Amino acid sequence: MRPSSVQHFLARLYTDAALRARFLARPYGEARAAGFDEERARELAKIDAEELALAAESFAKKRRAK
Amino acid sequence: MRVGLGWRRELGASILSHLDEIDVVEVLAEPLFAATPAEKRAFRFLAAHVPIVVHGTSLGLASTDGVERHRLESLARLMEWLEPEAWSEHLAFVRAGGIEIGHLAAPPRNEETLAALAENVDAARRTVGAAPLLENVATLIEPPCSTYSEGEWLDVVPRATGCELLLDLHNLHANAANFGFAIELPRAHVGMVHLAGGRVIGGDRILDDHLHAVPDVLYEMLGDLDDTTVIIERDGNYPPFEELLAEVRRARGGRTLCAPTGMGARGAHAVRPYR
Repeated sequence: MRPSSVQHFLARLYTDAALRARFLARPYGEARAAGFDEERARELAKIDAEELALAAESFAKKRRAK
Repeated sequence: MRVGLGWRRELGASILSHLDEIDVVEVLAEPLFAATPAEKRAFRFLAAHVPIVVHGTSLGLASTDGVERHRLESLARLMEWLEPEAWSEHLAFVRAGGIEIGHLAAPPRNEETLAALAENVDAARRTVGAAPLLENVATLIEPPCSTYSEGEWLDVVPRATGCELLLDLHNLHANAANFGFAIELPRAHVGMVHLAGGRVIGGDRILDDHLHAVPDVLYEMLGDLDDTTVIIERDGNYPPFEELLAEVRRARGGRTLCAPTGMGARGAHAVRPYR
């Protein structure tokens, strides 16, 4: 993965409900499937499900308002 | 303290008729990128009567993808015709890999972001002709892959970029409450301050929505900073203008009106109930 991929992965998580659902069901596996090494995948797998849902909902609201 | 308001169309007439009480006005950059000649005349008129600062929301200065050149050029053109005294942007990314997130996303607080931020700020400085003030953002999600705490981040960012902070006290307060850390004000790096209000969601989280009055705790935090420029942001649910003016006056007098806060030696604030 290129160095920019963490932000890219987060942008996808914030905007793609299907990816978010797959990630929340299997966070480490989905991060690995996205190409991250074990260490990064472990860090990404620590994302709090409730926080992710709140953030995604907030971003969706902002996109709809534009 | 020099205290002003963020320009919003709904507040425009009231701001213009109360310039004797408003020290500075902050205008959003993006709506003015395609300003008509009439709009340019109007904002130049405003700038002739009150100091103006420009506030950007779309550059994504913390983006590891880099900042799109056309956005910097639009900002440079705005700076040229409006001649504000300063400009600011957020410590955020707003897009990545071609995906528009829709708002300001807190980046991982790590070396990779810091290096990208420094590069982006350099590009901005070269294109725009002046360095931005950098604003801390509110976030509902703890940025993953972070190696710095938020307090450390607000210390290393100014050192790495040479930029002062636009310290948003509500963003800092909301993050501290939502993620359970004690606030340490980065006093040495503050070049400007934002005040705003929000609301509690989900029982115990603070949402920075800019739709409510500035809470008391922010005035207490402001009282612990040196004199600076303060902008009060309100994005909707507008109260009678007199209430906004009361917030301006309170912020201006903050250093003498505030009760002692019981700060520790390093300026740490305990998170208090939201009101």
